[in-house]
Amino acid sequence: MKRKIVAVAAIAATLLGAAACGSNDDDSPTTSASGAVDGKGKTLKVWLMVDAQTSWKNVVDDASKRFTDATGAQVNVEYQQWANHLTKLDATLAGSDVPDVVELGNSEFPKYVFSGAFTAINPADYENSGTWLQGLNDACGFEGKSYCVPYYAGARVLIYRTDLFKKAGIADAPKSYDEFLADADKLQAAGKSDAKFGAVYMPGQYWYSAMSWVKSTGGDIAKQDGDKWVGQLSQPASVQGLQRWVDMVKKYSKADPTKNENDQAGIFAQGEAAAFYGNTWEQGAAEQVKKDPNDPNSPLVDTKVKGKLASAAMPDVPSFLGGSNLGVTEKSQNKQLAAQWIKYFTDSTSMAGLIKANALPNSTSLLDKAATDNPGLAPAAAAAKNSWFTPQAEKWADVEKGNVLQTMLTDILTGKKSVADGAKWADDQINTILNES
Amino acid sequence: MSVVESPTTRRTGGSTPHRAPGRARRTRRNRQTTGLPWLLSLPALILLAGLLGYPLVRMVVLSFQNMRLRELLSGRTPPWVGFDNYTKVLSDAEFWRVVGRTFAFTAVTVVVSVLVGLGIALLMRRVTRGVRLFMIVAMMFVWAMPQLVAAQIFRWITDSDFGVINYFIDKLPGVDYQNHSWFVNPWQGWSVITTLVVWAGIPFLAITLNAGLTQVPKELVEAATVDGASGWQTLRNITLPILKPLLIIVTTLSVIWDFGLFTQNWVLRDGHPEPQFQTLATYSYTQAFGQSRYSLGSAISVITVLLMLGVMAFYIRQMFRIGEVE
Repeated sequence: MKRKIVAVAAIAATLLGAAACGSNDDDSPTTSASGAVDGKGKTLKVWLMVDAQTSWKNVVDDASKRFTDATGAQVNVEYQQWANHLTKLDATLAGSDVPDVVELGNSEFPKYVFSGAFTAINPADYENSGTWLQGLNDACGFEGKSYCVPYYAGARVLIYRTDLFKKAGIADAPKSYDEFLADADKLQAAGKSDAKFGAVYMPGQYWYSAMSWVKSTGGDIAKQDGDKWVGQLSQPASVQGLQRWVDMVKKYSKADPTKNENDQAGIFAQGEAAAFYGNTWEQGAAEQVKKDPNDPNSPLVDTKVKGKLASAAMPDVPSFLGGSNLGVTEKSQNKQLAAQWIKYFTDSTSMAGLIKANALPNSTSLLDKAATDNPGLAPAAAAAKNSWFTPQAEKWADVEKGNVLQTMLTDILTGKKSVADGAKWADDQINTILNES
Repeated sequence: MSVVESPTTRRTGGSTPHRAPGRARRTRRNRQTTGLPWLLSLPALILLAGLLGYPLVRMVVLSFQNMRLRELLSGRTPPWVGFDNYTKVLSDAEFWRVVGRTFAFTAVTVVVSVLVGLGIALLMRRVTRGVRLFMIVAMMFVWAMPQLVAAQIFRWITDSDFGVINYFIDKLPGVDYQNHSWFVNPWQGWSVITTLVVWAGIPFLAITLNAGLTQVPKELVEAATVDGASGWQTLRNITLPILKPLLIIVTTLSVIWDFGLFTQNWVLRDGHPEPQFQTLATYSYTQAFGQSRYSLGSAISVITVLLMLGVMAFYIRQMFRIGEVE
């Protein structure tokens, strides 16, 4: 009961804010990032996700400094958590005191662009805009205009234990999916004395992974048919990929089928698996942890697997291109300044900083440079060239938030549904959500 | 206030209609009631109207509109859709599964926690003072723990990779509980949630009922014992009838708390409960804030409040009936 009231109060508060703000035009002009803007005495409010704080704060500070030197405006960066940032953003954007620049995950962007949260930008104002990564840039387009700027990407790779590979008599990372399975067999046999050991750590609700396997056999999640979306998971090619993933997980993984990939690096660091499938920076997260997780300046401590890890592109499996974009909010009072800041934060200088911090740059023209400048990034850069992205539907974020794919995977892995039944169920859910008016 | 007093007032008036003192007392009281009490309760009433009344009205209004993210961000009035949200919710099989689950959970949890609470309260009357003190202090600690913290700790205890429960069960000979996941099987998952809620609910029940038990006159119990009544008979015919009003109140409160289950299943499922772990509270929250179906979430909340009122009306009537008998 009390909970209900809190929820109601929250809705009411956001409504109040919305009412106070009035409406804005549907057809607002494009915000330009070229030319000089005088920002003296103004402060720009920027919302970035926590990754920027933990991994490349120097890039943020440097871009802000160059921006301040050029325009005279100050920058106030606030870092957000992935777990609750959308709820917080909804409530804030309903009010009038809004952040000027907001970072969102690329699969989250279409919903907000469709709902009028961001202002249109002119891509030509930004460096490398001709070669922006497709998977990031696709999320920005709506009715012929562009509403956000690609920021960085991450591609998932196979991260593995070199010592265990050697012990099992494997010299190199697998070059094909069959080789990967053969290696997993050898690893499984070498570690069978330990009941907790599994060759591959693959949590059951890791849908980015499962969908990559679906793509590997030519399957798809959903596709557009006229103005309707149609779920594709129960199509034969998709079911084949899903089955391939489920077989692999059941045979080689000791992971909890009801967990997602959020803490996989930490669990992998316990040493009970020979490989996992993760973002490049998760290799670092598995090798070293903060002594005090609540303190951003805490010293790092080595884990059991320190110095024993390497990464390689997952053979024959296209990688999900995750990443983030930056947008200028429609309600911002400093749109031109905001666009200018994004220009500095996404230029080649900033991208070089991101490459150093193990993130993939926003442009294909920089991918090769990334691989040579930072050899640790080479597998991810290779994986990014063979990548896929979630359906470009306005309501896609609701499918993610609704845990549709996660629930399907858990149900299949625990035997509650067959692969075909699970895929059929997910298709029904996806059709309902994506086509809802 | 007037509701609580009315039965008594009516009774006094009815049984002694012609007695002057009674009438005089009543008039005096009436005169006093006119201004001051209302004035004194005004701040509280304004607060209640602002913090409860206004959002409640907005919620009901919202449930007849179709507010999505676009309307929320632009501030435009959402389109009116009449009873669409309600028909959508009520014709959704998933919603009825959630309702059934919420009711079943409430029934099981309330029965178990009241019975165990009563058992512990009775035990507390039997043990020595030192042990009783220890029990009270131990339960106070449980009671003082915030729900969120308790739920988080239970999540760690039952974690499939690091959980201490699996570790200990696995130590039993012939049992393999390594990497056992407690939330694959909904019955197991719900046992964990129920254990947590019962565990956290018992201190209030036991301590309150223990206080109630001290009010059972010793002479009555002694007399019954002298007359040859067994312990069970004494409990059924003397202790429980005296405890009944208190039992009904604590049961009612437990129903209210357990029906609104949110924190425990939310945290144990890491902020994204699977369909089989949704209750009405988490379901409406997920719909409203997770999927930006603010109006649909409001409709679910309104229906929840109505369902709850139906259950509560019975108990409240019961409570007044007790008041009248005494």
